Amino acid sequence: MDILVGWWDDYFWGSVVVAQVFVCSLILMIIFGLIGAAAKLSDNFIAQKLANGYTIVFRGTPEILVILLLYFGSAIALTSIAQIFNPDIKFFDVPPFWAGTIAIALIVGSYATETFRGAFLGVNPGSIEAARALGMSNLQTFIYVRVPEMWRLALPAFGNHMLSLVKDTALISIIGLNETLFVAKQAIGTTGEPFIMYIVVGLIYLGFSTIITLSVMGLERFGQRHLVSSR
Amino acid sequence: MSFDFTLIIDAVPKILLGIGLTFQLLVVSAVLGLVLAIGIMLMRISGKWYLSWPAQIYIYIFRGTPILVQIFIVYYGFPQLEFIRESFIWPLFRDPFGCAIVALTLNTGAYVSEILRGGVMGVDRGILEAGTALGLSVRQRFIHLTSPIAIRLALPAYGNDVISLLKSTALASTITLADMTGIARTIVAQTFAPYEIFISLAIIYMILTWILQKSLGRVERYLGRYMQK
Repeated sequence: MDILVGWWDDYFWGSVVVAQVFVCSLILMIIFGLIGAAAKLSDNFIAQKLANGYTIVFRGTPEILVILLLYFGSAIALTSIAQIFNPDIKFFDVPPFWAGTIAIALIVGSYATETFRGAFLGVNPGSIEAARALGMSNLQTFIYVRVPEMWRLALPAFGNHMLSLVKDTALISIIGLNETLFVAKQAIGTTGEPFIMYIVVGLIYLGFSTIITLSVMGLERFGQRHLVSSR
Repeated sequence: MSFDFTLIIDAVPKILLGIGLTFQLLVVSAVLGLVLAIGIMLMRISGKWYLSWPAQIYIYIFRGTPILVQIFIVYYGFPQLEFIRESFIWPLFRDPFGCAIVALTLNTGAYVSEILRGGVMGVDRGILEAGTALGLSVRQRFIHLTSPIAIRLALPAYGNDVISLLKSTALASTITLADMTGIARTIVAQTFAPYEIFISLAIIYMILTWILQKSLGRVERYLGRYMQK
């Protein structure tokens, strides 16, 4: 453990970056997933086709490829846009944080699209009919009847999506985000101890996964409390 | 920014040279991973704590850490350990292909064993009770009753895992292997044309995914043929 002395703070800040990527990509992932699910459920033909294309593309290509394409591709696109306004700009650098966060949010969002769609369709039709009979408006039905049933149905799969988000964060180190795997590479460059350094990274990610798994388990228990007490 | 089609025509044949390696990685680690997963699943459902605990710990570790970290530990970390360098398995870890196979197998084994367990747990109790009533032993019940039904139940999820394994093989490019992604990254480094090269590569992967999906769908239909009216 002596070799790790002096690297703990780097690993700590690397973990903070992982947490930041997780929070930002989680919010974006929910947005992408909801838009995709709404488009797939809509009557609009074009919206349906677009959403289908979105899920096929992002479920069929490797994560690392999406990250590389978004990072290098957006750098070139933004450089050429910037050169229109100011020809002196040689290269427009895209922050790896945002390129990577958006990339993994798009990937996991394509899986979340199916989860949200399935949850929406899984709502008991009887509950909707009951809400109609009580004279609830569409908006009221959505907020008081659909959402409470939906989030319980979507939760197990949604927990898996959150785990994928955290694990995909490691891939962003390839384009130079200073998260824990990147820290480990630097530490190995100095100490020449790859085994221990990468094991630490593994333990950090294992910690993140454990926290997410436990919170999802807690939420599931909270969501099913009405079923337990009726026994 | 322009889209250079001559570059694509030039690059795609080069990228396709790596398809053999991508397939080798996929098939070898899928087969070894399935064998490993069956073993782990049997340990997990054995009901003996000294078998099920190690299986659960293995599944927890390999599902809880990123595959990239696992590949790096195997490729960069293991050669540092004295006892691995002196053992008979060293030739496997000396070569990046062997390391990629080891990491991908261990990773997919953890996921697939949980999928198989789900299939086994999903088998109707009544069928097993009928088996007991007919005087079948535990082993006979597992082979003749549980397995055929569990395979059918697990197949859709298993298909998804094979597809995600295909996508994980792209990570072998990070440990110097020249699979399709590795070749594409080299070409991008030379030409700096990420759009053309990476989009062509993405389309190749999508076609492969589509082929896998269609063939697995066919197997699913074949196994479920008695259900169709």
